[in-house]
Amino acid sequence: MTASQPVQNVLRRRRLLAGGSVAMIVLRLIIVYLFALLLQLTFFSQVRVAGVAPELPALVAILAGLFAGPRQGSVIAFCAGLMWDVYLSTPLGLAAASFVVVAYTLGGITEDLFHDTRLQTLLLVFVGTAAMVTVYALLGEVVGQRGLIDDRLPRVVLIASGWNALLSLVAAPAVRWAVGSGPARSRTRRREPPASPLKVR
Amino acid sequence: MAVAQRSGRSRYRLLLLILTAATLLTLDFRGFGPLDTAQSRVRDVLEPVVSAVDVVLGPVAEVWTVMFTYNDLRSENERLRDEVDRLASADIRGAAEQDALERLLDATGVTFVEGVERLTATVLRDSVGNFDDDVMSIDVGHRDGVAPGMAVVTSAGFVGRVETVDAALSTVTAVSDPSLVVGVRLLDTGDVGLGHGMAGDPTQFVVDAGLRWPETGDLSELPAVGSPVVTAAGSRYPADIPVGRVASVEPSEAGLAQLVTVDLAADVQDLGYVTVLLLTPSDEAPVGPDSPFPEPSP
Repeated sequence: MTASQPVQNVLRRRRLLAGGSVAMIVLRLIIVYLFALLLQLTFFSQVRVAGVAPELPALVAILAGLFAGPRQGSVIAFCAGLMWDVYLSTPLGLAAASFVVVAYTLGGITEDLFHDTRLQTLLLVFVGTAAMVTVYALLGEVVGQRGLIDDRLPRVVLIASGWNALLSLVAAPAVRWAVGSGPARSRTRRREPPASPLKVR
Repeated sequence: MAVAQRSGRSRYRLLLLILTAATLLTLDFRGFGPLDTAQSRVRDVLEPVVSAVDVVLGPVAEVWTVMFTYNDLRSENERLRDEVDRLASADIRGAAEQDALERLLDATGVTFVEGVERLTATVLRDSVGNFDDDVMSIDVGHRDGVAPGMAVVTSAGFVGRVETVDAALSTVTAVSDPSLVVGVRLLDTGDVGLGHGMAGDPTQFVVDAGLRWPETGDLSELPAVGSPVVTAAGSRYPADIPVGRVASVEPSEAGLAQLVTVDLAADVQDLGYVTVLLLTPSDEAPVGPDSPFPEPSP
């Protein structure tokens, strides 16, 4: 047995543990996202305010950007958008692209600036949803979809953002649980740990 | 240094995701078959779960609807009572007109979408998103012989076209969708043109391509207000399906073409049942050199 073998064993165990937790995070995210998607497809196809429903897939994407950071958050947002695209009449990839851009931006600008508070999350979700809906409509018009930008857009943006901000009170703990981010953690603690001094030869 | 590397990697990942989305968009626009199939499979897999959740949450949603639309329902009820009274008196006139129509059909040999197999479907859900007001789901799919592009009608007239088809579910894009272009014929003048829905108004349709403004300035050449508009022969859909009635005729901005606004015959907002015409549609767009529809005016 060489001197480096215990170190290799420790690292292998760590990798396995890390792999297990990633699988759990993915599973939890799928559960949370499917629940949101089913609510959107059924309940919120009827329950609307002034004809406008919340954007639950966008809500999950925004919260993922906030709680998981821009790197992981953007991937989660992409998957959330892609799944939502399957049910929308607009081309596949449109919601995915808009979700990625906004989740990445929100995750990036808030990463090291603030500590989490409920009010802050609410405001960020409001702004994020407004940005996502607007980017979606703009991108849609750019790729030739008619009727996305009209007099109705400001109303949709405001009401959908309000809906999402309100629902974030319930959804935020669920997404936090899914991405494995503790509720009392500050954003500064979410930073990745410094590179391990241990090196495998 | 480590922060800069992390930032660089995350930007690289962002770029990769955006490129993936752009690739999917391009493939979707080009009608890449496997992509449609994959989406259809995903919807098929989830459909039983969606239906089950719908059954469970439906009554709760109904309570919300009743709470916030009670006044609307009451006024709608009163309006319908008046309508029933009016229709009772119009019944006799209707019978006479029906007789005249049948004799006219006998004389000219024109058929009103006859010989086409039909399938009645229930409207399951209206739009799921905030930009899908003109999309609805119906409870028939390719197991029932439905294919993308088929015309969907009610007894009032043209409702829309089948857009996506899953095993037991399809989505229909309503005629009120501004993206859905339909070839129509104005019965008053016999002219054919291309029209589409008007954004923000699901009751109207505008014909803005293919109809020239009279060069002589003779306004009698324009279609009369109230005259019927039907689907044109050579369009993607069977001919002579009622689309609506002319509401107004105006010149286009350049003054060369007609902008004909049509009040849609079918109410596409609150449908319970629709009929799918099981006629395989033409894949070709209704514009081109061999098309009966001229290119849009500048």
